[in-house]
Amino acid sequence: MINITGVKKTYKAGDTEVKALRGVDLVIDKGEFISIAGPSGSGKTTLLNLIGCIDAVDEGEILIDGEEVTSLKKEDKTTFRRNKLGFIFQSYNLIPVLTAFENVAFSLQLLGLKDKEIKDRTMEILREVGLEGMEHRRPAKLSGGQQQRVAVARALVKNPLIVLADEPTANLDSHTGEEILKLMKEMNEKHGTTFVFSTHDKMVMDYANRLVYIHDGEFTSDERR
Amino acid sequence: MTFLPRMAVKNLFRYGRRTIITASAIAFGIMCFILIDSLLKGLDEDSQRNLIWYETGSAGFFHPEYWEDRAMLPLDRPVDSSENLVAQLRARNVKAVSRIDFAGDMIVYKDPFPEDGNLQVKVTGIDVEHDSDVFRLKDNVASGRYLEAGEDGVLMGQWLAKDLGAEVGYPLTIVTRTFDGYFQTMDLEIVGILESDNPVVNRYGMYVPLDTVRYALDMDDYATGVYVSLPRDSREAAMLAELQPLAADAGLDLLDWRILGADYVDLAAAKRSGSSSVLFLVFLIAAVGISNTILMSVFERIRELGMMRAMGMKNKSIRNLFLMEAAGIGFTGSLGGVILGALVNLFLVNKGIDYSETMESGDMGYRISAIAYGTWDPTTFITAFVIGTVMAVLVAWLPTRRALKLDIPVCLRYN
Repeated sequence: MINITGVKKTYKAGDTEVKALRGVDLVIDKGEFISIAGPSGSGKTTLLNLIGCIDAVDEGEILIDGEEVTSLKKEDKTTFRRNKLGFIFQSYNLIPVLTAFENVAFSLQLLGLKDKEIKDRTMEILREVGLEGMEHRRPAKLSGGQQQRVAVARALVKNPLIVLADEPTANLDSHTGEEILKLMKEMNEKHGTTFVFSTHDKMVMDYANRLVYIHDGEFTSDERR
Repeated sequence: MTFLPRMAVKNLFRYGRRTIITASAIAFGIMCFILIDSLLKGLDEDSQRNLIWYETGSAGFFHPEYWEDRAMLPLDRPVDSSENLVAQLRARNVKAVSRIDFAGDMIVYKDPFPEDGNLQVKVTGIDVEHDSDVFRLKDNVASGRYLEAGEDGVLMGQWLAKDLGAEVGYPLTIVTRTFDGYFQTMDLEIVGILESDNPVVNRYGMYVPLDTVRYALDMDDYATGVYVSLPRDSREAAMLAELQPLAADAGLDLLDWRILGADYVDLAAAKRSGSSSVLFLVFLIAAVGISNTILMSVFERIRELGMMRAMGMKNKSIRNLFLMEAAGIGFTGSLGGVILGALVNLFLVNKGIDYSETMESGDMGYRISAIAYGTWDPTTFITAFVIGTVMAVLVAWLPTRRALKLDIPVCLRYN
């Protein structure tokens, strides 16, 4: 599903060069629920950004579903993200002026689907994530956990190949965070969608069925459960 | 796809206060544009009309060498057989009349005037019977009466009379030179005071019967100019063209009011240009306001923008979203500006602004003595509306483009 080979990425922070990834290799299979774990600044987010085609590698290549995404043009990357990837962000990143329904439907609007299909699929996923009856609420009227549920629904509603989640529970209390993880796991099992998420939280790592540790831009362990 | 417009409208309400402030700035700019344009056009139209009605007529026939030295008011370059030319013109159904402009030294004495003194003046000899065919002096006698043929009477502009302390019935003397260059003295009595819409008449006007002037200056059938009145529409140019051969046959120049009133025409053009600069500044301020609003709006939503791009929304769609928001602000502001402008313009058109004190104390060049009226010009309303809306979209382009140049991870990390 995802083949990462010899990927390097260096950032410039002022005059200093920061080697975020130092030539990493990783293969992720379809349907995996994999956690990229490591301390802050270890390269977790960089790796997710590269898989998510929102950043470019310096060296190496990434194949997703047989397609070499690292060499895609900017416009093709946009199309790829739109059609095949779902994102869950640490701070939810919902659009404040839209309701829960509209935030989820936004993903499908981008695909240009018909209104009827958008409505049916959105209502169905909102039911699945336990937000039935709250579809007309705006983010400001939802709790943090509920907002992240909307974000999960928004990522999953278009049936993506992969859902990328960057520290999805970091802004939630442990109980709510665990609920979100359970939901993500449930969706992974139900839809067979590959989940790749970053964390440095032990509880989150425990939910993963594969745990890859990264430190200073290099993988230090790869543990399957 | 109605998704983007709907979201744009929601975002406008999301930043309601800012939207209102920016739209108000645009509305103010548009209102200023409409009002300044209305006043300028009103001043221009009224000034042209008053120039033609009181100074130049629609056109005039002159000796070919007269116009070059017109400031000297020469008498030795006249229109010969002017009444014959007037007759020919009338035969063609063209209203025409002779006038003689000459320079003189006006002498007034203490008692009845407040003090002794003299003043260089321009005096115009007018055909008492026919001058009103071309000019409108006859309707402007504020006190006293209009001139009678052959009398030693003079009509005087009201501001000049006020400055001199003159009243109807006061005597004055004009010392001038005749056609042949001899000194001549004309003892005249003020028979009427003129209150005209044209400040030139009020400030400098001295009018004496043409036959009195001809007799005094020994000018028989001469005139310094023969003036005609033509319709002020599309027929004017054609009629002027028809009269050109007549002028050529008589060895005269036919000059239209644009040349005769060149001082005003040039000045009006300069004022229009100056006013355009003011309008440009007003719009620039509004443009900076909109640009700033969009800039703030864009940078407050950088993370949202990063999320949208990460989810695969095209840059073009995001740009369109922001431009729609800008267009919404521009549309609201422009509509408000047009409505406000129309309401205030209603007052300008019907009541006008009284500039009488300003006009009396200083020469602004416009031929308006008192009240400046606005005009209704639908083209201005449409232009202002379109400019306001389009300008809003154009100035929003840059901040949006700037935000879209940021990398997505940078947007997502943006605080």
